Amino acid sequence: MRLTGYADKFSVHPGDGIKIYVNCDGPAKYRAEIVKMINGDTNPRGPGFIEKLISVSVNGEYPGRKQIIHSGSYGYVLDNPSLRVKSFTIQCWVWPTTPKTHPKYWKHGAQGLVTKWSPADGGYGLFINEDGCPELRINDIKVSGTAPLRDHAWHFIAATFDAESGEAVLYHEPQITYALDPEIPPVKAALSSQVKQSGIPLVIAAYTGNAVGGTSAASSVPKGMVISGHYNGKIDSPRVCGRALSRLEIETMKLGGQTGMDERRGSGPTPKLSECVVGAWDFGIGINTIMATDTGPYLNHARLVNCPTRAMTGVNWSGHNFDWKHAPSEYGAIHFHDDDIDDARWDVDFEWQVPSDIKSACYAVKLTTAEGDEDYIPFFVVPRVGQETAKIAVMMPTISYMAYANEHLANNAGGAELLVYRIPIMQHQNMFLSEHREYGGSIYDTHTDGSGLCLSSRLRPILSLRPKYDHFLMQAPWQYPADLHLIYWLEANGYNYDVITDEDVNYDGLARLKGYNVVISGSHPEHNSGPQLDALHNYTQQGGRLMYMGADGWYWVHSFHPAYDHLGRGVMTEMRRCESGIRTWRADPGEYYHQSTGELGGMWRYRGRYLHTVAGTGMSSEGFDISTYYTRTPESNDPRVAWAFEGISQDEKLGNFGLVGGGAAGTELDIVDTMLGSPPHTLVVATSAGRHTEGYLLVMEDFGFNQQGLDGTQHPRVRSDIAYHETPNGGACFAFSSIAFCGSLPWNNGDPSKNNISRLVKNVVDRFMKDGPLPPPPSDAYKHRGRADYDRPGNTVNTSRGG
Amino acid sequence: MISIPKKGTPEYSRLVAEHEACIRSMKGVAGCSILRCATPGDTTEISGGIHEDFVLNRVLLRMRAQPAKNKLVVICTKVEKEWRIGRLSGIRGVPPVFVDDRVFDDEQAVQHEIFLMRLDELAEHDGMPEHFNEGWKRRDDNWTAT
Repeated sequence: MRLTGYADKFSVHPGDGIKIYVNCDGPAKYRAEIVKMINGDTNPRGPGFIEKLISVSVNGEYPGRKQIIHSGSYGYVLDNPSLRVKSFTIQCWVWPTTPKTHPKYWKHGAQGLVTKWSPADGGYGLFINEDGCPELRINDIKVSGTAPLRDHAWHFIAATFDAESGEAVLYHEPQITYALDPEIPPVKAALSSQVKQSGIPLVIAAYTGNAVGGTSAASSVPKGMVISGHYNGKIDSPRVCGRALSRLEIETMKLGGQTGMDERRGSGPTPKLSECVVGAWDFGIGINTIMATDTGPYLNHARLVNCPTRAMTGVNWSGHNFDWKHAPSEYGAIHFHDDDIDDARWDVDFEWQVPSDIKSACYAVKLTTAEGDEDYIPFFVVPRVGQETAKIAVMMPTISYMAYANEHLANNAGGAELLVYRIPIMQHQNMFLSEHREYGGSIYDTHTDGSGLCLSSRLRPILSLRPKYDHFLMQAPWQYPADLHLIYWLEANGYNYDVITDEDVNYDGLARLKGYNVVISGSHPEHNSGPQLDALHNYTQQGGRLMYMGADGWYWVHSFHPAYDHLGRGVMTEMRRCESGIRTWRADPGEYYHQSTGELGGMWRYRGRYLHTVAGTGMSSEGFDISTYYTRTPESNDPRVAWAFEGISQDEKLGNFGLVGGGAAGTELDIVDTMLGSPPHTLVVATSAGRHTEGYLLVMEDFGFNQQGLDGTQHPRVRSDIAYHETPNGGACFAFSSIAFCGSLPWNNGDPSKNNISRLVKNVVDRFMKDGPLPPPPSDAYKHRGRADYDRPGNTVNTSRGG
Repeated sequence: MISIPKKGTPEYSRLVAEHEACIRSMKGVAGCSILRCATPGDTTEISGGIHEDFVLNRVLLRMRAQPAKNKLVVICTKVEKEWRIGRLSGIRGVPPVFVDDRVFDDEQAVQHEIFLMRLDELAEHDGMPEHFNEGWKRRDDNWTAT
């Protein structure tokens, strides 16, 4: 791919500006056009790809230039006199994940730990060398340790250098030693060099590469300096002192600085040591920030770039406190990764002032070259609160888009095939990403070092958020292009709709939803913030109508990182995969709480918010080979809901066709379960029970121990329930409970006379979008209902065989 | 544990024929399973395949569970038009490489081609005590970690 790009916003108001950043690697120019997105699916069995060119001033040709991403997290302190030491001690605890990498690994080479060093300028620093051993460098001299660092284990590393005597000592002391580990004596060397001083920064978890200008360093931080040698793993308690300490003093220095103490204790850890402290960083301070605090006298706070993972258990975690807010001193570690990315930091190619009269909808910047390159940068024009322009709002699940951003599962995860029950198909976006790890990954991925990826930024090209992109999960549209199936249907049936996003609901609350008669979700609103769920509950409680057009919704706890609020709304999202649920990686013990907000991560269910409470149904199974159809239940004739089936006969197969798996009931499936939060008066109007393949399996949170019989050919809870329930004040929810559901909408061009899914959805939309409360149900519908407690039909009739 | 039938045996031929029949019936489906669609391209009625052939079911499971390194994968080289076979490197930052020059015009057919290649490539037996090696202590046991 030679064309990639991103915008500074997902949602933009009419009248506001949106900035566009483009990488054009090769061609001298590219063309940009604003298009309205209607259908993003190229499948020839559907309507085909449809976009509508919008004639605006920014459409035109632009000079092409390459822009690159500098991924990898680290901390840096700009050069200042305190850092220009002649003699020194550097020490830290490390928990490396990839101390030694394969020669073809994308960032093979030495890793910087605490450095003020570059190949060109020399300097000093502590490293892990290419052989996986600790290493002290002074200019181009290397003093290497003899023992390779054990991965995923804590080690104490320290190095001293005395400029007068020239003696250098390197200590390597693993926290845990096993019976057959050889002893690791300190390494001593006599050097005749002096530390070369220069203006390069002090860097934690990397070193300064080439201080070049020009385009290759334009997006790096500090500007003009490319940081290299990214370390993968945790670092705890880094310290730098301005003389060669004894081993005993090094041990005392582990206590770090102490600010605010009176004259009896000094700024620590002892008055004598306080005289030589250059930097003593305590990563347990400011865990919800992107600053690493120096408790030493020079305030050499390190700015953290690319948002490394914090709220990580430190070397001293004792297994008694699991919430970092209650024991920050046990969470003094930061996990750095060479593929972390918080902001691509590209230069702006152009900015579009969105006209104030433009219709709210899904748009994209379409990028092309004469040689056939193509990319799209989707965005959404969203009305201001109080200036709604439709009765229908489509809530585009942008948090879920971020959770899936640039995912690598088909390429990296051996388990991908077990999940999808066939061989995955990689698209050219996946091929590009498999090489360009600097574009980062999704919260479904592991980092390049194998650790779980829990943070995702939208300020980078998100190549999975594209039309014409089939996802490996279904070899069909997923998330954004699948949501466009819904947009196509609304357009084809002449509906006027507004587009809003998850982040709009998160930041604006109920006011964002209240102006709409009906809110329609996307196909897969899996990832949500607490404020967003609050807004949805308040909306339906107050008479709003919610159409849940997907499944696996309302599942994962998400927060937005406050440290990025200055760059926009919802820039960086966080999610942790804890003890249950769909876990393509699993958080380590003690690392379940979010660094951004301090809340417990994981599933909303395990925060006490059951999925089924939002729209009536909740996830019970998933499978990805093929989809199937629904049939109506007797309950579908209840007068409370029979209106939904006008024009649909009792025996019709509902949705035995579709662009996602070939049926409306597929991929991830939700059911009604009154024990898991479905309101007791919920009606199941159609179900796909018994029709799913062996590839569909019950979710792990719905069984307590492993057992046979969990798949779609055996287990009754592997099914999708289309469900309806009333909410107070004339509101209601209609849950369609299948991610594949929207894929059936465009069939036969979405014509309700030729597509019974279209017919069903049209009946619901038409009723839900009417002004005023819904007509009340018949009076006999009002009765007391339990959750588990009900009378089975068999209990009330004579059970003798004679009848 | 799960044996791969040897080439030339009736079992091998049955597996290949059933797999191919399933794949052919899946043409046009926006998804794929090793099951027979009663009407090709239509998942309304499905049968056979992995639901009825136990050996086929197990052999496919073992193939699917292979770790990522050197695993065969499908690569779409022209949207809706062309597909090729690739092999995963298992190394972060090293993209998959094409295994040969074949270009397929049917995304489902590639599944069958890879099935044939894997029948050849996989060891007849695996997972038994005689296959134990030190790597097993570190999950290097030919079954992916999930």
